[in-house]
Amino acid sequence: MSDNIIQVNGLKKHYNGGEIRALDGVEIGIKRGEVVVIVGPSGSGKSTLLRSLNLLETPTEGAIIFDGVDINDKKVNINLHRQRMGMVFQHFNLFPHKTILQNMTLAPLKLKKMPKAEAEAKALELLKRVGLEDRANAYPSQLSGGQKQRVAIVRALCMDPDVMLFDEPTSALDPEMVGEVLDVMKDLARGGMTMVVVTHEMGFAREVGSRVVFMDEGRILEEGSPDEVFGNPKCDRLKEFLAKVL
Amino acid sequence: MQEFFATLWRDFHTAFIEDNRWKYIVEGIQNTLILTFFALVLGVVLGVIIAAVRSTYDQQYERMTGPAKPFLAVGNWICKVYLTVIRGTPSMVQILIIFFIIMASSNNKMLCGIIAFGINSAAYVAEIIRGGIMSVDPGQNEAGRSLGLGYVQTMWFIVIPQAFKSILPALANEFIVLLKETAIAGYVGVTDLTRGANIIRGVTYQSFWPLLAVAGVYLIMVMFFSWLVGILERRLKKSER
Repeated sequence: MSDNIIQVNGLKKHYNGGEIRALDGVEIGIKRGEVVVIVGPSGSGKSTLLRSLNLLETPTEGAIIFDGVDINDKKVNINLHRQRMGMVFQHFNLFPHKTILQNMTLAPLKLKKMPKAEAEAKALELLKRVGLEDRANAYPSQLSGGQKQRVAIVRALCMDPDVMLFDEPTSALDPEMVGEVLDVMKDLARGGMTMVVVTHEMGFAREVGSRVVFMDEGRILEEGSPDEVFGNPKCDRLKEFLAKVL
Repeated sequence: MQEFFATLWRDFHTAFIEDNRWKYIVEGIQNTLILTFFALVLGVVLGVIIAAVRSTYDQQYERMTGPAKPFLAVGNWICKVYLTVIRGTPSMVQILIIFFIIMASSNNKMLCGIIAFGINSAAYVAEIIRGGIMSVDPGQNEAGRSLGLGYVQTMWFIVIPQAFKSILPALANEFIVLLKETAIAGYVGVTDLTRGANIIRGVTYQSFWPLLAVAGVYLIMVMFFSWLVGILERRLKKSER
C-alpha cells in the first residue's frame, strides 16, 4: 500500500442528501508509473471519481491519500497538492486571452516563481515534443481541437506533476484528431508517467493501460489487466458494456 | 409666416441670449457630467465590492473553512438586502431620502447627488459585474485551480480578464442610463441640465426653447457616448480573434 501514490478509501459523493449517489464507496490504489484506465457507461461516476482525485469535486465522505497525505482533510492546502497533479479536460479549457506560451508559463511563473526565460525555454521544449513549437505565440482560437488538447497536456506538464489526470481527453475531438492526442498520451505513458485516464477509447485502454477499471452506478465493479478485463470479463454489467462498445 | 419666425427668434433671444441665460445651460451640462461621472465612479467601487462578496459566496462558501466563513455569509446577506432595496424603490424616492433624511445636515447638494446616484448605480453595476464573471465558462476556473492556482489568483489572472469583455460595454451603457437619470437631481437643488432649463423657464415664462434645447443636449450627449461604446465593443470583439 505504501508504494501507492494515490490511495482512495471509501469515497462517496452524494447529492440531494443521498438521493443521488455519484460515488458510492470507491476503493482504489494507484501505483507510481501505472496507467489506470477507467471505463464505464455514462453516469457511472468515472468522471466524478477522477475529478475527486484533485478535489475539483468535493467528496461527501472518504479519504484520498496522495503521497501520504489525506487531501480531503479540510486543513490541507489543496493548492500545493494540485501543483503536483496535472489535469487534462474534455473541453481543453485553454485560456483564450493568453497565447499558447502564456498559457503554459502562467502557473510556473506564479506558483514556482520560475524565472521567465527558464519557464519559456521549458515550455518551448515541451511544445517541440508535441510538434507545436511554431504555434507558441498563437492564441488558442487559432488552433485545431487536436492541437488545443496537445497544448493542454503540455501546459499541465509544465508544472512537473507526479500524476496526470485525463478526463475524456478525446471525446470532444473530431475523429481524425483523436490519434494525435492519443500518441502524445502513449508517449507520456512510455516515459513512466503515472496516469489516470477516463476514456471511451478501448483501443488505448488495451494498448497502454496497465490496469483497466470498470465502473457502474458509482462503484468499481471489476478491475484487472486489459487482457483480463477485455478478454475474460466476469460480471454481467461489464459483458453487456463491452458488447456495446467493442 | 415671417411673423412666426420673428416671434420664435425673439423667444430664443429671451431664453438664451438676454442676460446671458445660456450660462444656465452650460453650467447644467457641466454639473450633469460631473454628477454622472463621480456617481459612476462611486457606483463602480461599491459595485465591485458587492460583486466580489456575492460571487465569492456563490463559488466558495460551501468549501470554505475557518473564521472568515460567517463573515462572508453576513456580508452576502447585507449585499442581497442592499440590492433588493435599491432596485425595488424609485431612484427619485432614494435621492429625496438621502437629501432630506440621511444627509439633511449637509449643504453640499452636489455631494448628496453623487452619493445618492452612486449608491443607486452600485446595485446595477454589481449585478453587471457578477453577470460578467458568471458568463465565463466554469471550465476556465477549473483549469486554473487544477494547475494549483488559488481562488484569488485564478479570478485575477484568468476569470476577470475574460469577464471584462462583457462587463465593459454594459458598464458604458450604465453610464448612459445614469446620465439621463441625473435629470431628477434638480428636485434637491442641484443645478443640473434639466434644472437649468427650469430656471430659464421660471424667469422668462417660456417653455418652448429651454425644454427643447435641453432635450437636444441630452440626446447629443447620449448619442456621443453610445458612439464611443460602439467603438469600444468593436475593439473588444476584434481581440477575440
